[in-house]
Amino acid sequence: MDLASGYYLGVTFLLFAVFAAIVARTYSRKQRERGEAPKYRMMDDD
Amino acid sequence: MLEKKPIIFLLIATGVILIGTVVTMIAPFKWINDPKLKIAEVKPYTPLQLEGRDLYIREGCNNCHTQTVRPLLADVERYGDYSKAGEFVYDQPHLWGSRRTGPDLARIGGKYPDAWHYKHMADPQSMVPRSNMPKYAFMQRPLDASLAERKMKALGFPYSQAELDALKGKSEMDAMVAYLQKLGNDIPWRKAARTTVAGDIKNPFRDDRSVLAEGKSIYDKECAQCHGNDLKGGVGPSLADLKQSEADMFKIVFSGSPAGGMPAFGDILGKERVWKVVTYLKSRGH
Amino acid sequence: MNQREGYTDDVVKGFITWSIIWGVVAVLLGVVISLQLAFPQLNLPPYLTYGRLRPIHTNAGIFGWGIGSFMAFFIFITQRLTKTRLWSPGLARFQLYLFNVVIALAALTLMLGFNRSKEYAELEWPVALLVVVLWVIFSINIIMTIIKRKEEQMYISLWYIMATLVGVAVLYLVNNAAIPISLTKSYSAYAGANDANVQWWYGHNAVAMVLTTPPLALFYYFLPKSTGVPIYSHRMGIIAFWSLVFMYLWTGAHHLLWTPVPDWVQTLAMAFSVMLIAPSWAAVFNGYFSMNGQWHQMRENYLVKFLIFGVTFYGLQTLQGPSQAVRTFSAFIHYTDWIPGHVHMGTLGWVSLILFASIYYTVPKIYGREIYSVGLVNLHFWLAVAGQLIFSITMWVAGIQQAAMLHATNPDGSLHYSFMETLVEMYPYWHGRALGGIIYFASLLIFVYNIVKTVTAGKPAAVTQKA
Repeated sequence: MDLASGYYLGVTFLLFAVFAAIVARTYSRKQRERGEAPKYRMMDDD
Repeated sequence: MLEKKPIIFLLIATGVILIGTVVTMIAPFKWINDPKLKIAEVKPYTPLQLEGRDLYIREGCNNCHTQTVRPLLADVERYGDYSKAGEFVYDQPHLWGSRRTGPDLARIGGKYPDAWHYKHMADPQSMVPRSNMPKYAFMQRPLDASLAERKMKALGFPYSQAELDALKGKSEMDAMVAYLQKLGNDIPWRKAARTTVAGDIKNPFRDDRSVLAEGKSIYDKECAQCHGNDLKGGVGPSLADLKQSEADMFKIVFSGSPAGGMPAFGDILGKERVWKVVTYLKSRGH
Repeated sequence: MNQREGYTDDVVKGFITWSIIWGVVAVLLGVVISLQLAFPQLNLPPYLTYGRLRPIHTNAGIFGWGIGSFMAFFIFITQRLTKTRLWSPGLARFQLYLFNVVIALAALTLMLGFNRSKEYAELEWPVALLVVVLWVIFSINIIMTIIKRKEEQMYISLWYIMATLVGVAVLYLVNNAAIPISLTKSYSAYAGANDANVQWWYGHNAVAMVLTTPPLALFYYFLPKSTGVPIYSHRMGIIAFWSLVFMYLWTGAHHLLWTPVPDWVQTLAMAFSVMLIAPSWAAVFNGYFSMNGQWHQMRENYLVKFLIFGVTFYGLQTLQGPSQAVRTFSAFIHYTDWIPGHVHMGTLGWVSLILFASIYYTVPKIYGREIYSVGLVNLHFWLAVAGQLIFSITMWVAGIQQAAMLHATNPDGSLHYSFMETLVEMYPYWHGRALGGIIYFASLLIFVYNIVKTVTAGKPAAVTQKA
C-alpha cells in the first residue's frame, strides 16, 4: 500500500467516525425529545 | 445547541461547505498547473484567433459543441487524439461544453480547408444536408476589433502591431475560421496519428458490381459535400475523371492528404468501406 | 390572517407574481429552442438562434422562476417559523425591483451576445455584480429576521434556508471572478482545466444550493402544513442535512469524467455522488413515512399530490444522477440527450411540482380567498406530470440510441456510424420532446389562469382556518 492509498483510507475512516459521532449524538436518549420537538410546532397556527 | 444559535450554525455550515471545496476545487490547481503537464508547442492565440474565439462565445457555440476528446475508442477514432491539460492553458474561459448536439471541435483545426468552413458556416445544410445547425451568413459583416489590443494585454498574450493592423478589413467569419483552424492543432497529433498504408495494396472488390450501391451511399454521405453530388468538384477537386491507380486512391482516402486539405477516412470508415468507395469512383471513371 | 399577525406578505405576493411570469417565459423559450433543434430554419440570426436563446431559457428558469419563488417562500416561511415580522420590509420591496431589473437585463444582454459562456454563470460582470447585491440584501434580511426571532428552536426548513444563503454566495463569487475588458466583455480569471473544474464545482452545486436545498426547505414546511401531521423524523432531517451539505461540494467533477482534470478529483466526485444517495433518500423517506396513515390524502388533497409526486421525482433524480456519475456509464451516456432528460425530471418534476404546491397553499392564504377551481388544479397536475414524463422518457431513449450508435464499431475496429448518421436519428425524438414541452406549457397556462382567478374572483376564505 502506498502513501496515497493510506491517506485515502485514513480520511475515509475519519469521515466515517465523524458521521457515526453525529448519528450517535443526534439519536442519543438525551436528544430524543429535544431533537423531535420542532416538528410538533408545525401543528400550531402560524 | 445549533438549533438555537443561528450565527454559530451559519459559521459551521460554511465550514462544512468549504471542506469539499478546498479538496476538490482549490487543491487541484496544484495538480493541473504541474510543469510536467506543460506542452511547449501550444501557443497563445493571435489577435485574429482570439477575436474568433470571442465570437464563438458570443454566438453560444459551446451550447452544441464540446471541445474535449475523451480517451475512449469512439471519441479518438471520430475526433482525433484525446485532449491533454496542457493544451488548454490559454483558454480563459474553457469551452469544453456539456452536450454534443453537433460534433466535438477540439481537433477540428486542419481537418478541412478554409473554403469548407466559409461555406459551411454560411449555410450548413448546403454541405451537410440534414444538419440542424443555424445559418451564420450574417457573420460576413466586418469584424469590430476595437478591443483587440486590450484583450491581448489583459490575457498577457504576445502580439505585434502588424497583427493588429491586419485585423482591419477582416470579417467576423475570417476570425471565426482562423480560430477553428487553430483548435487542437498545436500538437503534432495529426502527423503522429496518420496511418501509413504498408504492404500489398489490392482491391478486394475489383470489378465487383455488387458493392457499387454501398460505395455510392458512402460517397454521398462522406464525400459529396466537398467533391459534389455529381463528382464534378466544389471545395475539393473534381473526381469525375480520375487517372490514379486504385492503390493510390485508397491511400489518399484512407490516410488523407494534408497538403490538399483532404481528411483521412481510415479510422472512420475502415479498410473495407474505403475500398468500396474507391471501387465506386473507379466505376464512374470509365 | 397576515394582517392579524403583522407579517410582511405584500412582497411575497410580488415575488410570486413575478416568478410565475418568468417561469412562463422560461418554459415558452424552452419550447421555442426545442423546436429550433428539430427545425433549424426557426433560428433567426443573429439574435434568435439556439446558441443565444438557450442561456436565456436556463437563466429564466433557474433564476427567474426558481430563485424568484424561493425568495417569496423564504420570506413567507421565515417569518412564520420565527413568529417575527420581516426585519426590513422596505429592503425587501427594493429587492423585488432589483430582482426584476436583473432578470430583464440578463435576458436582454444574453440576447445581444454578452455572454461569459460558463453554464448558469453566463451573465457579464456588471449584471453579475447586481446579482451579488441582490443576494446580499436578501441574505441580510432573512438572517436578521432569524436572529431577532421570537421562537427559540429553529425548525429544519430554516437550516436549509440558511445553508442556501451562504452556499449560493460562496459559489457565485468564486465562479464569477473575471478580468473585465469593457462593460460588456470579460474573461474568466481561471484558465483551461482549472476553469473547467471551478465551473463544474459551481455548476453542480448550483444544483445543490438552488435546486435542492431551497425546495427541501419548502417541502419540510408545506408537507406538514398540507397534511396536518408532523414530519416523520426531525432528527433524520438533521442527519440528512449535514450529510447533504457536506457531500455535495465534492461531486462537481462528475461533469468532467474522462477529461484532462486530474483522475483523483474525478474519482472522488464519483464516490461522493454515489454516497449522496443516502441523504437524498433520507428526505424522500421522511416524506413517505410522514404519510403513514395519510395516504388517502393523495386522493383528497391536491397539495399532497403535488408534494409527494415532487419528492418522488427527487428520489428518482438522485438515483439516476449518481448512476451517470460512474465513469463507465458516463463514458456511454455523457454529451447525449440523456442528460437534458435527467435535468428536466429535476426541474419540471421535483422543483416545479414543489413550487406549484407552495403557490397553491400560499396564494389563498395571503389573499384570504379559496382556490378558484380544484378541477383545474387537478388538470394542471396531470398535464404537468404527463408533459414532463414525455419529455424525459423521450430524451432517455434518444440518448441511449445515439450513444449506442456513436460507440458502435465494425469488426475491423472502424466506426460503424458517422456523426451525421446518429444525428438524423434524433429528429423524431426532438419532435416528441417538443410535444412534451408544449403539454407542460399548456399546464402552466391553466395554472396561471387558476391563480389569477383565485386572486380576483375566489370565494372569501372561511374565518376559522385550519393550521
